[in-house]
Parts: sequence; C-alpha cells; structure tokens
Amino acid sequence: MLAMAFGLFVSTAAQAQEVTTIKFDQLQELRQSPHDTLYVVNFWATWCKPCIKEMPYFEAAHAKYKDQPVRVILVSMDAVQDKEKRVMPFVQKRKLQSRLYLLDEPDGNTWIDRIEPKWSGAIPATMFFNNKRKQYEFVEREISQDELQELINKYKP
Amino acid sequence: MKNNRVPLLYMACLLLVGVLMAAIPASNNSGYQVGDTARDFKLKNVDGKMVSMSDYKDAKGFIVTFTCNTCPYSVAYEDRLIELHNKYAPQGYPIIAINPNDVKVSPKDSYKDMQVRAREKNFPFPYVYDETQEITKAYGATRTPHLYVVQKQQDGTFKVAYIGTIDDNSREPAKVQKKYAEEALDELVAGKAVSQPNTKAIGCTIKWREA
Repeated sequence: MLAMAFGLFVSTAAQAQEVTTIKFDQLQELRQSPHDTLYVVNFWATWCKPCIKEMPYFEAAHAKYKDQPVRVILVSMDAVQDKEKRVMPFVQKRKLQSRLYLLDEPDGNTWIDRIEPKWSGAIPATMFFNNKRKQYEFVEREISQDELQELINKYKP
Repeated sequence: MKNNRVPLLYMACLLLVGVLMAAIPASNNSGYQVGDTARDFKLKNVDGKMVSMSDYKDAKGFIVTFTCNTCPYSVAYEDRLIELHNKYAPQGYPIIAINPNDVKVSPKDSYKDMQVRAREKNFPFPYVYDETQEITKAYGATRTPHLYVVQKQQDGTFKVAYIGTIDDNSREPAKVQKKYAEEALDELVAGKAVSQPNTKAIGCTIKWREA
C-alpha cells in the first residue's frame, strides 16, 4: 500500500514541470527576449483564488500552442520559503505543463515599476509580448478563457 | 421676473451636479494620486456604528487601509497593522480599516466574518465595510492591503500624503528592512514632506461585485 502510494507520488512528480527560482534580472531578461515569439507571462500565487481559477486557461493555451511560437509562462509570487511545501505540491497535484518560475523578490517596491509602471501589484496579472514585433499588452485582472484566446489570436506570429 | 430666475438657477445647479456625477466614474479608474483631496465616508463598523473621518476631532490624519479577512497578505499584516495603529494613533494618525470585497465573490469577507475576525484579533481600530465599493473606487484601491495616509488640512479636508504598502517583506516580519509606511508617517508627524510617497507591493486583487 505504502509502496503504491510512493509509486503514485513519483509518477505524479515526474509529470509536472520543475519550478525554477529566479531573481528580478532573469524576469527582466525574459521580458526583453528578442525572439519572434508571443510570450504570455502570468503572475499568480497558490494563495490567489482568481489566479487558480484562470490557470486552466493558460494550461490549455500551453497545450494548444506547444508546437507554435507561443510560450506560456507562469510566474509564482509565492515566497521562496513556501516553494517546497506549498508550490511544489500544488504544481504536482495539477500536473502543470507550462514553464514555471518562482520570483524570489519579497520587496515588490523594488521591481514592480521596473517591469510595468501601470501595475499596482494586484494579482492575477498577465503580460503579452513579442519584442521582435514590438507588441505588448498588460492585463491586471482575472482573465476569461475567451479573452485569453482573443489576445493570443491578436498577437500570435 | 425675479421669481423666474430662482428655478432656473436651481435647474442649472441640478444640471451641474448631474454633469459632475457623470464625470465621477471616469476619474474612478485611476483613483487618488498623492496630493489629491480624499473624500470622507460613512461606513458601518463591526460594532454596528457608522464611522467617518470627520468623527475624529483631534486626528491630524488617518491611515486608511483597504484590507480583508481572506487575503493571506492581509492576514500576514494584521499584527503589524495593530502595531502601526498603536504607534501612530497617539501621534494623531489612527487606522481606519476598510473591507472592500464583495461578499458574493468572497463569502468569507462578509460583515459577520469581519466581526468574528475583529474580535479574534481584538483590533484597536475600526474595521468598516464598504459594501457598495463606492469608497474603494473613489480612492482607487486595487489590492489588499492597500494604504492611503491622509493628512487633515486647515479647512478640514483630507489630503493624500502616501499611497502604498506597509513594509518590504509581507512573509517574514523579522526580515523587514524598510518600513515604508512608518517612514512616511514619521515625516508627516515631523511636519516634513514625505520623501517616498508611493510604494508598491504584490497583493490580492479586490473582489469586485460582478455586474
């Protein structure tokens, strides 16, 4: 029984993506990515209910555009201390397949304005950009599946 | 002739009020900036009494704090809010905490649940409910917790002096290095200009009433 439970845990763990802890510089680097690719970067946290509500839409978009120049990236705002006991179990339970980062920058005041001055700091928030085509859009609220699809259609190379 | 003018003037005033009211939603999108005059309010506290800033005759200003029961960031800051109030109320800047969340979207932010939380934490400040979200929209609050420090002017109006966060580490109070709100309040109390009047933090989006 225990072995079965363990086996189940391992197989689940293997299916979800890793969560890479990043600092602001790496987020900035992602934001400045020069490729002709649409980046959809969603800021979320395990404690954020509306974020969790919209997460399946991002996961579905990731699956749908896997072989196209569309990258869905989920950036967790959870504290780095909560990565092992909150973020990882959440990610594994939901078998998240999008690229996963955890931004380890506790003081929002040092970086929020540098990534988006219009952002008040509320999550969920989502960025859409293709730097090659100088396209950019920022949404600071919960997004519906239709809205997400429209924005992807609008910017998808 | 003279009798005719009065209704005309009256109608012109009504029209002006109508135009002003129609203009309000447009300005709501951005809310207050530092330097703006903040409106007073009359909101129901957890003890059943209505609270307005004008009730406090001796206050020099207020720490108007949009916060709630359910947001983990708000919960993480509850004890620090109590400390902030206990430190600055005697210096003329008490806290008025406002719950902006719609109860249908966030059931645990109901008035009853506010009463329970206020009792559990023994809040030394009012915890009022902005049920219509009118005040939240007027101020332009977007997340919890979201602080507006206002300073009472000689004419009795309230000028926004600081908008932002409490400090630089919501998760670990022991690791706090920058107490943004306290720095602003110390400057105000000392009669100085606030050197960092705008700060930002990650927070929970306000749960707006669904149309």
